[in-house]
Amino acid sequence: MPEQHSNQTILIVGNGQAAAMAVQQLRSQAFDGCIKVVGQEPYPAYERPPLSKAMLAEPGADVSSICIHSPDFYSAGKIEVILGKKVSRIDPDRNVAVLEDGRELSYDYCLFATGGQARQLPAYPYGSPCVHYIRTADDTLRLRQTLRPASRVVILGGGFLGMELASTARALGATVDVIEAADALLTRNAPFIFSQWLQDRARHAGITLHLGAKVAASQTRPQTGMLALELDNGRLLNADHLIVAVGMNPNSDIAASAGVAVCPQTHGIEVDSHGRTNISNVFAAGDCATRVDRQTGERVRMESWQNANEQARIAADAILGITPKAAAFPWFWTDQLSCNIQMLGAIGADMQFLVRGDINAHAAAPEFLLLGIKDSVAHYALAVNAGAQLRALRGLLEKKVSIDPAAFSNTDIPIKQFVKKATAAAVM
Amino acid sequence: MAWIKIDKANELDNEESLGFEVEGHKLALHKLDDQFYVSDNICTHQYALLSEGFLEDGCIECPLHQAQFCLKTGKAMSAPATVGIKVYEVKQEDGHVLVCFP
Repeated sequence: MPEQHSNQTILIVGNGQAAAMAVQQLRSQAFDGCIKVVGQEPYPAYERPPLSKAMLAEPGADVSSICIHSPDFYSAGKIEVILGKKVSRIDPDRNVAVLEDGRELSYDYCLFATGGQARQLPAYPYGSPCVHYIRTADDTLRLRQTLRPASRVVILGGGFLGMELASTARALGATVDVIEAADALLTRNAPFIFSQWLQDRARHAGITLHLGAKVAASQTRPQTGMLALELDNGRLLNADHLIVAVGMNPNSDIAASAGVAVCPQTHGIEVDSHGRTNISNVFAAGDCATRVDRQTGERVRMESWQNANEQARIAADAILGITPKAAAFPWFWTDQLSCNIQMLGAIGADMQFLVRGDINAHAAAPEFLLLGIKDSVAHYALAVNAGAQLRALRGLLEKKVSIDPAAFSNTDIPIKQFVKKATAAAVM
Repeated sequence: MAWIKIDKANELDNEESLGFEVEGHKLALHKLDDQFYVSDNICTHQYALLSEGFLEDGCIECPLHQAQFCLKTGKAMSAPATVGIKVYEVKQEDGHVLVCFP
């Protein structure tokens, strides 16, 4: 590590996954200067994936069970963590951040790891009775306090978060309805064949799906506080809990008002491939950051656990003047309907999807793979309860190897053998 | 402390793992680059069998969320795991693979 960093201060605004990874990376690269982290929530950095799953399902689970680092990590690493405080602005000319209580923190480098917040619908204000948005641990704890096996839960939005919440609430015994404006689940992010499979599986689990539907009118019943919803197809639904899961907005306002460039399309903080913004000592990583995708040339803002970790790792290295290792191949997971579902890469237009295994939506523990190919080259893979097999495919996707479709679908050939053969053929 | 013979260890190929139990403890035997390793079989992040995971670069990777553990030390090498797994001493004798279980 270049020596000049040892007297410097790195300030991290935000305290989620990206912040936790940045801190870890800075210390593991032997940065011995000052690290300050300011988090708006009252808790140390914690994992968000459990908020829609274990944290909601297990009555005894508290935030300490999902914390990313142990308390020792911060004390041993001499990391100053300021919790429950908001940064109200940064002054990039003076290299100072101002907290809402007026306190000033000076920095040599500033990393925005501000994440995002649930996109709110004006008809359902945050905090109103019966209405829930799930983004923070407190959001989950509030829902968990009142969620009962007899609850009637209506979920707005059939994306990953909406379906995870539906799955957890249903497993607790609640009656669950999901309202999705598109004609199918996960239309943008998953192959049609998987979308159909997930719909089948959700319905088999007793979840009612209202696809291609919107809420036309809603009313709070004065006696019970319950919400009565009328869909545009005429269906009437009563909700003890309405959970709105219609995406998130990145927290980029503080950066924008400091003159940091923010993308007009994604509203994310614009960064280069090393996480640097238009201001040379200001970086951004995770849900709040937007970068140019090398393949498509488009500005993308990725909302994933892996992306938060990878962008934070890369930004931390770049701050220290170390050339970062390239970002890992895009990977995403969701746990729902008793399945561990993982994806590598992204779906594209004109992709053909090959199936390996039994794509049975009603099996207790289904196990299959999908491979997205274009001109016989594999670009995307999805696994249901077959994570290690998906992992074996990663090399193929990274190297853009062309494959034999029949061999992929032949379960008599072990997946590792299939990968080795395809890779060897590509080298020849 | 005892040396315990692991059944079917010799059927294992490189880059393969095998789950087994000793006194009710779930353990996993891993074979990588012709070396045998034994570790706990349950991921410290969330319940999953590491014997169903992926072996590469001296690590066993969990099949659920890709947490990696060093085969030699058990150390958690990548998120989401932060707590390591136990690893156990292994030896080969008379064509058998044995694990030292405390």
